[in-house]
Amino acid sequence: MNAVEWIKLIAGSIFLIIGIVIFFTELFGVFHFKYVLNRMHAAAMGDTLGISSCLIGLMIFSGLNFTTLKMFLIVVFLWFASPVSSHVLSRLEAATNEHLSDHCEIYEDVALLEQELSARRAENTMEKEGDPS
Amino acid sequence: MEKEMLYHPLFIALLILLSIMLLVCLIRAVKGPRVADRLVAVNMMGTMVMVMISILALLLKEGYLVDICLIYAMISFLAVVVISKVYIGIYEERHHNLENGEGGDTDERS
Repeated sequence: MNAVEWIKLIAGSIFLIIGIVIFFTELFGVFHFKYVLNRMHAAAMGDTLGISSCLIGLMIFSGLNFTTLKMFLIVVFLWFASPVSSHVLSRLEAATNEHLSDHCEIYEDVALLEQELSARRAENTMEKEGDPS
Repeated sequence: MEKEMLYHPLFIALLILLSIMLLVCLIRAVKGPRVADRLVAVNMMGTMVMVMISILALLLKEGYLVDICLIYAMISFLAVVVISKVYIGIYEERHHNLENGEGGDTDERS
């Protein structure tokens, strides 16, 4: 084994171990949060970052050939597919949960949300101006 | 020959770690109180299985296993989208029946 092969081995192992650590974080998050819409945030991380760092490690191992190209194709496909499936899952949750307002605030109209946000912002600036510092 | 000795244990260790994580994911899929919980867990399992198939492709030196991995990604994406749409449809139909007083099953399995 020459130096190039050692470098390949070490770089690939580092990427693979990063990927495994991200998968572990994903699992921890899924068990730590209490509600689906929070869990989805943790679960979407492994779909993009976890699998892409694992496959980058495997690409470094396999070198330049068609297998590398196919792995890159998988990563690109998941970058597009993962946000779409998260969106569809959250729509499922919002459509079927009757007690959604227990878990998060719901605004029926976007104008109401903007009104409240601007009111909050005005309060913050008032506090800052009133603060003699 | 020396190269094999280094790659082989690494791949085996990663496969074992991923299978343990897969079992923990399965616990989440069984426990999940709502349908969306189960679907999120199944999606995670699909991602982990994709990594396992790619590792096996390099371990067994069979390049075509990566093709199977690509098809697996597409089918798992399709499954999540289709099951979500079907479940939304079933839920709305059941709700409609309850509102009209036509009966139907009253237990709300969620």
